[in-house]
Amino acid sequence: MFRFQSLDEDCTLEKEEGLVEEEDEIDQFNDDTFGDGAIDDDWQEEHKRLAELEERKNDGLGGLGLGGLGMRGMGGDSSTVQLPPPASRVPHPSSLPPPHHSLSSMPPLGLEEMGGGDLAESLAMLILGADPAIASVGGPAGPGDRSTGLPPPPSMPQQHHHPSQLPSHHQLTLSGLPPGPLHPSLLSYQQHQHLLRRGGAPMPQMNSHNIWENNMGFGPVSVTPGLITQMEDSPLLSIIKEVGLPNRPPPVMSEDGRDLSERAPPPRSSSPVIGSPPVRAVPIGTPPKQPMSHAMNHQQQIHHPTTVHVRAPVHHQHRYPPSFPERISPNTLLNMANSPLCRPPFPAGVGPVLSQIQRAQMLNSQVAGFPRGCQGPPLLPGGGGFRPFFGQPPPHRMGPHHNHIPCPIIRHNTTHLHPQHRRMLTQRMQSRGGERGGRVGDWRSRDPYSNLMTQREKEWVAKIQMMQLQSTDPYLDDYYYQNYFEKMEKRQERDRDGVRKEHTTKLITPQVAKLEHTYRPVQFAGSLGKLTVSSVNNPRKMIDTVVTSRTDDEEKREKQVWNKRRQILYTVEKMYSLLLEVQDFEKRFMQTPEEQREALLEQHKTHTLQLYASLKEKEWDDRVSDEQCLLIMSVRKGKRLISRLIPFLPPLQAATVVMGIARNLTALAKKDKQDQALCWLVEPVAVVISSLSSAALTDLLQELQGSEGQLSKVLQNKFGVTLLYLILSEGERMQSSDLNCQLMDDNRWTELVFSVTRELLNVPPSSLSPPLFTPPNLLSLFSRYVDRQRLELLQEKLQISALSR
Amino acid sequence: MRFTSRPKMNYMPGTASLIEDIDKKHLVLLRDGRTLIGFLRSIDQFANLVLQQTVERIHVGKRYGDIPRGIFIVRGENVVLLGEIDLEKESDTSLQQVCIEDILEEQRLQQQSRQEAEKTKHLALKERGLVMPRPDIMDEYGVQHQY
Repeated sequence: MFRFQSLDEDCTLEKEEGLVEEEDEIDQFNDDTFGDGAIDDDWQEEHKRLAELEERKNDGLGGLGLGGLGMRGMGGDSSTVQLPPPASRVPHPSSLPPPHHSLSSMPPLGLEEMGGGDLAESLAMLILGADPAIASVGGPAGPGDRSTGLPPPPSMPQQHHHPSQLPSHHQLTLSGLPPGPLHPSLLSYQQHQHLLRRGGAPMPQMNSHNIWENNMGFGPVSVTPGLITQMEDSPLLSIIKEVGLPNRPPPVMSEDGRDLSERAPPPRSSSPVIGSPPVRAVPIGTPPKQPMSHAMNHQQQIHHPTTVHVRAPVHHQHRYPPSFPERISPNTLLNMANSPLCRPPFPAGVGPVLSQIQRAQMLNSQVAGFPRGCQGPPLLPGGGGFRPFFGQPPPHRMGPHHNHIPCPIIRHNTTHLHPQHRRMLTQRMQSRGGERGGRVGDWRSRDPYSNLMTQREKEWVAKIQMMQLQSTDPYLDDYYYQNYFEKMEKRQERDRDGVRKEHTTKLITPQVAKLEHTYRPVQFAGSLGKLTVSSVNNPRKMIDTVVTSRTDDEEKREKQVWNKRRQILYTVEKMYSLLLEVQDFEKRFMQTPEEQREALLEQHKTHTLQLYASLKEKEWDDRVSDEQCLLIMSVRKGKRLISRLIPFLPPLQAATVVMGIARNLTALAKKDKQDQALCWLVEPVAVVISSLSSAALTDLLQELQGSEGQLSKVLQNKFGVTLLYLILSEGERMQSSDLNCQLMDDNRWTELVFSVTRELLNVPPSSLSPPLFTPPNLLSLFSRYVDRQRLELLQEKLQISALSR
Repeated sequence: MRFTSRPKMNYMPGTASLIEDIDKKHLVLLRDGRTLIGFLRSIDQFANLVLQQTVERIHVGKRYGDIPRGIFIVRGENVVLLGEIDLEKESDTSLQQVCIEDILEEQRLQQQSRQEAEKTKHLALKERGLVMPRPDIMDEYGVQHQY
């Protein structure tokens, strides 16, 4: 009985979602082009058929006398498949000879006469003649048009008369005939021809549509393997041969007069050799294809291990929650039947056999209440195949046997809802389900177009919509929702106060893990910079900015330094403004009228006092504050300031300033290493020095020498050297000019000069900085104090220094 | 006793979804103002609709006319609203159906009168110095043409 078990060939009819999703060997090309419908893409036939539906409603055409023709119009599934609605008028298959023909059995009369080549034409005639649509359309076509030659009521003998025409005009007619609903049949005719030329033995009669009308009750049929190979193009037909004609189904369809004859699409040349390589990826928008239960897959696998194109086991549990009663499409059923049967030599892109419409109608019939109920003919291996279809009749579907209200099905896609929410919804569902009981079913059964959108597709859309509700942070994304239900729960708890513990369920929402997708550019060791690949999500960085955060301490320190500097600058600025006013005094004095001059003078004095005050020590009037001086002089501007300031100061104050400078010269020199701005001071200082008294001069020299080692440092500085020279030369001048110079009175001067000379001699020439100028009378000064030898040395040194100026 | 044949699957609890509306007669209002009535056969995640046996209904005043259109596929973004039509209540309406030609004529007249009113208004405003942009004669660059 289950003869197909023994067969090795595979059927490639199944190009189901199982395979597609696994993306294995099958060709998805056509599926993806047209989405889900592509598998069943015989929309043209469908359209024609449905158009016929409409027409027939209006016309009320009588059945054509296609008695034998329709049945004999085989030669390939294509031909039978392409039979338009009129084929439905073919008499009941039960009237056909029993389907247990071997293929070698004699074909019906008419065909017998034809023989091989004639068969082609006769069949073509059958097709074209049998369909009034085609015949009428083909009427005005080109010359040699077969259709014109076809007598509208085709009978065998008549067809017999046009054997010669057919093959020759085959191509012509095909091209000549107008497009439109004609095409499918033409195509099929072509295939048909092709098939038949392979030495087509006449095919057993069958009314293909009857198979699909009743998707169960397949009887086994013996098959000729030889023929199978010829059936490359018509897996369906082979299936039919294998499985045999079904028993007449309950007249679900006939009442509507619709023809559910199968229209398998013409086998596509989907071999990878031809055309573009198969597209593996499923575009985003494609709805799911017809599912196939894993049980069935399993069966197939078990029995037909050599199957290549069998649907891969579908392990998509998430799509088919066990609780969800699966509606197995007739396609899947068929494919179960198909799989063991035959395998065309090349992988065919032929999809499932049923079209969308037919499937929908299939489902419709289920909906209307399948009289068979739970008892499905278990024709498939193990008998388990059909189980899914009938074995688990959902309570609300197979009505007659179940008496309870459909229990609320916990949908897998509602897990993210608040449990309270879900409860409310199920209640709502139930109440709604109660009302809508009877009338919908009734109405549905009459709607031929219902269920065009399969359950799976609906689920798919729902799934997409649900995905948008997923959230990594529910409180962030849907705050009010969460709060609302929380409040409701609390309220209920409060009301019932512990009567029902179920209300204290915790809210469980699926949280999608937040994934960090930051791009870190790759950096190769030893290379400069990073290798960055820019994309939409990671745009190219123009600047590689690195954030450096400084510690508080560092910041504080830096701030302090800056603050100090700012303060110094501020002081300097203030002094500058005073200075400028002082400088401008002369000008202004000339400009102001007499009476105001006094005031101006006073002002001037005040300013100068102020200036000095800012420099000097707080308590002592005759000493410049060292810190202040240092501070000011540490800034370049400050040095400049002082240099400009000194001329304006009264001599005594100027002298103290110079003293202060000399005193702090080392420190100043250190700070001045970079820009040597001290040299600005030379001129004013020189002026001051020249006005110094001898005592003051000595003091100055002493200050200059200061502590140990100060002089050497002084000598390193240009200004320092210059200052020294200035002092010495001044001293010399004093001595030489004024015989009564008090310079010699105390030994300080002498001692100081001695130490200076000593230092000068000792200091290495490299560290001796060339002065700005060398006063000429230095030599005479030194000659007073040092002996000849040293004098010469000094001379050398200083000359060197002088020369190197 | 036979229970409902339609599976009581609540696909999108608590949300707005068209799945429950499939295979029912709907009235769809489009953004361009058209009214379509048809059986909703298929949807997708963008609320693109497949309507079958669609009829475009033109309303003018208390009268309407139907133009049978066949199968419509409507892009979701162009739908303003849609609602299920209660087949029982569909018939009791105060609107009167007239034939297509009449209703089209009426519509044309209505459009015409509207345009004239609009024009006079526009002119009046222009005289007062206020130029209102008219979207129908304004091209994509915001330039208004009046020929």
